[in-house]
Amino acid sequence: MENFTNETLDTTQLPRFEEVQMTSLHPDYWKVTLIHLGILFLILWSALGFLLIMDEGEFATYNNDFIIIGIVLTVLVLFFSRLAFRKKAFAFREHDVLFRSGIIATSTIVIPYNRIQHVALHEGLISRYFGLAKVQIFTAGGKESDIEVPGIEKIQAENIKQLLMGKIQKQL
Amino acid sequence: MTDFSKPQRQSPIGILVMFFDTVRHFAVGLWPLLVLMFIKSDEMSAFLVIGGIALLFLLITVTAYLKYLNFTFFIDEASDEFIINDGIFNKTKTVIQLDKIQQVNITQSLLQRIIGVHALDVDTAGGSEKEAKIKAVSHNLALALKAKLLENERKQPIVAQATSQPVEETQASEATPFIKISLMTLLKVGITSNYIRTVGIILAFFFSIWDNVQHFAGDDSFEHNYFDDYFAAHTIIQSALVLIIVLLVFVLVVNVLRVILRYFDFKIARQRGSLLLSFGLINTKSTIIKPEKVQIIAVTRNYFQKKMNILELKIKQASSNIKEENRNAIDIPGCNETERDAILKLLFDVIPEKGLMLKPNWRKLGFAIFLIIILPLSGFFAMASGVETRFYEFAYLVPVYVIFALLVLCFGFRNYRLFINDRFVIKQSGAWDITNEIVELHKIQAITTSQLFWHKTADIGYLTIHTAGGNIGFQLGNFTIIKKYVNLWLYEMETSDSNWM
Repeated sequence: MENFTNETLDTTQLPRFEEVQMTSLHPDYWKVTLIHLGILFLILWSALGFLLIMDEGEFATYNNDFIIIGIVLTVLVLFFSRLAFRKKAFAFREHDVLFRSGIIATSTIVIPYNRIQHVALHEGLISRYFGLAKVQIFTAGGKESDIEVPGIEKIQAENIKQLLMGKIQKQL
Repeated sequence: MTDFSKPQRQSPIGILVMFFDTVRHFAVGLWPLLVLMFIKSDEMSAFLVIGGIALLFLLITVTAYLKYLNFTFFIDEASDEFIINDGIFNKTKTVIQLDKIQQVNITQSLLQRIIGVHALDVDTAGGSEKEAKIKAVSHNLALALKAKLLENERKQPIVAQATSQPVEETQASEATPFIKISLMTLLKVGITSNYIRTVGIILAFFFSIWDNVQHFAGDDSFEHNYFDDYFAAHTIIQSALVLIIVLLVFVLVVNVLRVILRYFDFKIARQRGSLLLSFGLINTKSTIIKPEKVQIIAVTRNYFQKKMNILELKIKQASSNIKEENRNAIDIPGCNETERDAILKLLFDVIPEKGLMLKPNWRKLGFAIFLIIILPLSGFFAMASGVETRFYEFAYLVPVYVIFALLVLCFGFRNYRLFINDRFVIKQSGAWDITNEIVELHKIQAITTSQLFWHKTADIGYLTIHTAGGNIGFQLGNFTIIKKYVNLWLYEMETSDSNWM
């Protein structure tokens, strides 16, 4: 009993999650995103080109419109992808993991380590070429409370996985 | 006994399972191409078609084989982890701690039965999907692996299954119920619940009749419809009134019957710290609710129910998949306030108090009005003026809709509150049926805070609390206060390894 204390908590002195210095994703991950987008656009543009060349009838007069719309869309997607990439950031604190994302609504999710159920390491084909991996963290709270942190160096991702497995609450 | 400590593959015959799995994937991904091939098949040479099919077949076989090669699983004895490696180009390594495993299921589909292999699913708490799926192993291996995976497990799989399984009758009769819901109460519940829906149906009906009355009285711009003949024999007003009354009675009777059929003889008993429920007219259902499994309790009642001193309780428990989610939400219809307090006290030890109140910003109401009233109305008037002037015939509905929607939105806004105290978060919401969702702080799994960039200066934002029984969200509250409490909750969650299940 003599070891028991029950001091009043000074809530203003608690560590603040909103002031944590977050780590951005690895710069190479932007290249991965670009390659993914590049492949997507390549397919879409060749489909459009194919359509425009094959069809000489009614579409022919709108050729330029289609191309302009295509270019605008491409630029917009690239622009927002870049914004989204820059907004994404993560932090592993002593007791929890933070992940920030979102362009219009920026949201930060915090998962305490003792609520993690399991962890997965995912390497995409292109990510692997750059030596990057994605750490997926699962809780019991369903899809919305799981997080995926992409663009982490493979070695670091392994370390994070090891760290998380060590911190997971052993007993429910 | 098989050694699971080294990475191993599935049964080689399982390649067949992978093959059909891949066929399915290809079919989903390539169906437009296949349809095209099928349509144009008579135009193309037989050689091309056969060649194409052969190529596809080869591709799928190779994929299936590579899938088989790259899928390995093992148990890391040193760290007590079950590890699965999967994927040909995109590789995933899933790591599950053995004592997090809740259930291991061995199943067999038709194809798997023909081939003679079994699937093994590993399930942990929460998450909408199975965390790990092994598609093709022999029965002996599946059993051995299951035993090995559950070796560390002590009581958990039993606990997990006991909640949803029917309790034996003898057990149910032993405990004396402390709450019994009478037929009278069920009648009250039947009359008062789903009231909005009932009113909605009646209103819709009323308007359709009103509409008919109008053009029956001389407006011949509309075509005749079947209502005209139907009402021809009676005076319009009379039949309309009779119809409304009949409909009202009908809906209420259906509602009452449904409630009685489902919840007849509802009894709640206490047994070793758990709640024992039994109810039903034709099929008597029995369920146990363990306090530690309870995640969210929702208390709902409307104005009439308040006057009659009845309310509905919905208890949401931890579930490991979506299918279970509905089963794990248990309704207790029509208990009174003392009974509610008794149940809450049993499940929470204390009766949750409301504590600090958080109100939403006025923008919440503003945005709702914009979305529900202004946007549809401007659409309506744009259509009416630009496309089809006959839309103006319905203009008399506009004020009715506006008043109704405004009332619902304003009451909804007025009731939208978040209460925070030392142990609980309570979210109140609803326009007519007012719901209080109660969450114990240590049941929180994760917290999301979110803010639209133009709300920064107004200092308002969103809060979502994730639990194993669902989410609780609060929109457009004071962001500084929200963040302060998130920090406090995180501190409390992280300093104690509390039992959330």
